[in-house]
Amino acid sequence: MKYFLRKLGLLAFTLFVSVSLNFFLPRMMPGDPARALLDKMENLQPEQLDTIRAAFGLDTDDPVIVQYGRYLRNTLRGDLGTSFSRFPTPVSEVMRVALPWSIGLMGLCTIISFSLGTLIGIAAAWRRETKLASATVGFFSFVRSFPYFWLGLVFIYFFAFRLRAFPIGGAYSVDAARGGAAWWLSVLRHGALPAATIVVSSLGAWILTMRNNMINVLAEDYITVAMAKGLPIRRIKSMYAAKNAILPSVTGFAMSLGFVIGGGLVTEMVFAYPGIGYMLYQAVNAKDYPLMQAIFLFIAVAVLIANFAADVAVMILDPRVRDGAK
Amino acid sequence: MSDTMLEVRNLRAGYATAKGFVRAVDDVSFSLRRGEFLGIAGESGCGKSTLAYAIMRLLRDNARVESGGLLFKGRDLVPMPAAEVDALRWTDMAMVFQSAMNALNPVLSIGEQLTDAVHAHRSVSRDEAEAMAVEMLALVDINADRLRSYPHQLSGGMKQRVMIAMALILKPELLIMDEPTTALDVVVQRSIIEKIEELRRRLGFSVIFITHDLSLLVEISDSLGIMYAGRLVEYGPAAALFNEPRHPYTEGLMNSFPSLTGPLRRMDGIEGRTPDLLSPPPGCRYAPRCRYARPACSEGGCPGLAPSGEGRLSACPYPMGGRADGGVAGEGGRL
Amino acid sequence: MIKDFLKTLVSNRKSLVGLCLLGFFVLVAAFAPLIAPYEPKIDRLETVAELGEPSLEEEIVSEDYPSDSRDVIVYRSTTTREYEKTVDYFPLRAKPSAEHPLGTNHAGNDLFSQLVWGTRVSLTIGLMTGLFVTALSLTLALLSGYLGGVVDDVITFLTNVMLVIPGLPLMIVVAAYVTMKGTLPIVLILGLTGWPYPTRLLRSQVLTLKGRDFVRVSRSLGERTSFVVFREILPNMISIAMAEFFASSMAAILGEATLEFIGLGNVTVVSWGTILFWAQANGALLSGAWWWFLPPGICIALVGTSFVLINFAIDEISNPRLRKR
Repeated sequence: MKYFLRKLGLLAFTLFVSVSLNFFLPRMMPGDPARALLDKMENLQPEQLDTIRAAFGLDTDDPVIVQYGRYLRNTLRGDLGTSFSRFPTPVSEVMRVALPWSIGLMGLCTIISFSLGTLIGIAAAWRRETKLASATVGFFSFVRSFPYFWLGLVFIYFFAFRLRAFPIGGAYSVDAARGGAAWWLSVLRHGALPAATIVVSSLGAWILTMRNNMINVLAEDYITVAMAKGLPIRRIKSMYAAKNAILPSVTGFAMSLGFVIGGGLVTEMVFAYPGIGYMLYQAVNAKDYPLMQAIFLFIAVAVLIANFAADVAVMILDPRVRDGAK
Repeated sequence: MSDTMLEVRNLRAGYATAKGFVRAVDDVSFSLRRGEFLGIAGESGCGKSTLAYAIMRLLRDNARVESGGLLFKGRDLVPMPAAEVDALRWTDMAMVFQSAMNALNPVLSIGEQLTDAVHAHRSVSRDEAEAMAVEMLALVDINADRLRSYPHQLSGGMKQRVMIAMALILKPELLIMDEPTTALDVVVQRSIIEKIEELRRRLGFSVIFITHDLSLLVEISDSLGIMYAGRLVEYGPAAALFNEPRHPYTEGLMNSFPSLTGPLRRMDGIEGRTPDLLSPPPGCRYAPRCRYARPACSEGGCPGLAPSGEGRLSACPYPMGGRADGGVAGEGGRL
Repeated sequence: MIKDFLKTLVSNRKSLVGLCLLGFFVLVAAFAPLIAPYEPKIDRLETVAELGEPSLEEEIVSEDYPSDSRDVIVYRSTTTREYEKTVDYFPLRAKPSAEHPLGTNHAGNDLFSQLVWGTRVSLTIGLMTGLFVTALSLTLALLSGYLGGVVDDVITFLTNVMLVIPGLPLMIVVAAYVTMKGTLPIVLILGLTGWPYPTRLLRSQVLTLKGRDFVRVSRSLGERTSFVVFREILPNMISIAMAEFFASSMAAILGEATLEFIGLGNVTVVSWGTILFWAQANGALLSGAWWWFLPPGICIALVGTSFVLINFAIDEISNPRLRKR
């Protein structure tokens, strides 16, 4: 319980830090980005200029601390400001359209990649003397050094451009009626390549982590004991080896998740997949700071909550953590 | 059925390293009667653990038996197919491992780890298996409510008793204990050893007890074997061997008894270090450290165990009793 | 200590391959001007040749004969030289050919030359960031692990917080705010978002070493802190610090390429990332110009692989369990 409360505390604090970072970043940056932006945007309507001033706190003479308080209050209420580029749509509204796509794509990919990678990692450690195991490990170490976006480009080139097996971008077919069977099929076809990009490039990390953990665990005495006891191999592999080996993987979940999501964002940019990654790309190019910040905030919150969930999972899996002994 | 539980015949075993094959067990032979308590002592690195793992057919990865025989109740374990070994292991012979801390799976409850040994070998219901576990825990003085505990919730001594219960749960006839008390403090060591002795009387199994600490073996062993650099250098009835060691190494080991104040003691009674098994010294392997060594000791082959009377065996060609300088009498007085 | 470490690295087959691969790219970066046939941002080749001999033309402007003994003649002498200037514009979006082994881009720049010059920028940024991150995290780890107490609490807490805040989105947002474009800002952005993980790893190593007998003895003997830290702890951290250096450098090269691909770097500088940016911006993909976007990615992957191979070897050296038995 103490562990749970400590992790809950860390969650609250990291959330607070992320939210604050979002407020202070534009105000701390050298070179005064707000002025630079205003100088560039003289052809905007006065209302738009107002939102920019509001976003950077240039519209009031209130001290920073008062602005900060107001910002915190607004953020808590879900008011993230107004988008520059899609004026006058509120940022939260813009995000609402993009979110389901990203959650679907990245959520699914993370689950697939984590489970598949963990299983392959277990197998690769269990039979690590075989050629197949070393080849798999070697292959994925190599793939892991590809930039995500480049792998996406290569996939588009080969599967969409050359073979014409998949659409080159977007998330669904505009011809099909939204919600119908044909539309859902088009969603699957559009999602296939981005999903493959994310899974293929993030798989290696899970495989390698799990393999190394497994190899460390397999050298433990309790594995020898389990073998001596004559337990079925499946039980040794799952309850004795894998259950111990997966703990560091789950603990490190947040970091890896941050990485997967980072990759997912870039993948969306490459495929013009209408999720928050692509939206971030558009926001960056349009210098739409409120939108950019809101997206960052959302991703941070999502990762932090997922990380908290991983901490809870460790608590369930590891009795030592449950008792606060570790 | 014969009275012999285990017969080890000219066993050679070791493991491959980057620098070559290390023969950690070199031409070791002995036999163990039903119900006998055999103690095997030697400094770390002398090959006693490799011997234990070889008997259990648990040598892993780069380790293997080179030659020799391991006759368990008349059947040779060395060429036996893995499936048959699996059927024998834990039902007929079981092992208590060096460090109970690492020998228990941290994420499974004690109960699960005890009963899964039962389920692996007997088709019994969950409740029956659990009843067996409770019974065994009772034998090692652990309350039944500990079944739901996890390893980290137990003290070191309790963990080791759980390991003993786990080893005995299928009522094996042979129990191998590899340094079962090393990490424990002296008082707990004593209680564990008394417990083993009590259980052996009650259940009648044979024991091979491996330790670097000869003092532990004095009172409970029927026979004693002393290992040095992969070889058995002395073997005989415990009391006789103890009262009158015939190999200088045995004497050296006895002189380096640990004090009772600390749980772990280095063997600082003998000068020098154990030889590198990759390239053992010529002649008697103990010669470089032996205070009685003569020039002839460092020449020729390694002397083997030879009968030295009264059912005893020693690998020293110059039995201590007949030594001209009479050094034994002086040392013996200390015992 | 360092010598031993390097010796082991060279004797390991994996790391030897990795070191050779890395060495190759370092050489390419160092000798880029010699290797690349053209400057990276040149789109034409100009040659000037003089035609014939210069011709001399003289013209009398005025003549005056003030006295018998003086003539004043003003004349204009013009030397005319004739030149022929040939401007060979590189073809735009050309396929690979003998003149342009990897074709040309939308602006007619030679892509092979860009790739070679880009090696310099990408590698410099990667290794500089790696060095920066390693130095920063090593300092934090030593402070935190060795001093303990409040310093440790603060650094550990900060590390834990920064560790779970996703790196790439943060990097993107920060980069979007930075108005200066150049190498230093990129190194700073990559470095300041990349320190938490290495810091955590290095700190736990410091703690392990602090508990070792030789350090405890020195401390109880009252050795100066600087002696213990620099003579006893640091030398034992070489392998893990090197591993972190290579891992951070790899992350930096990937991060830099990503930022530039998104357009957040300085797109006027030629690096592997900006080549990909321009390729994407000009639809290289859908015109089938594989020679435009494949090579930079392969280069990034090869450099990354060299780091991975070296780190595999370091892992095997420092963790005997992973060694193939």
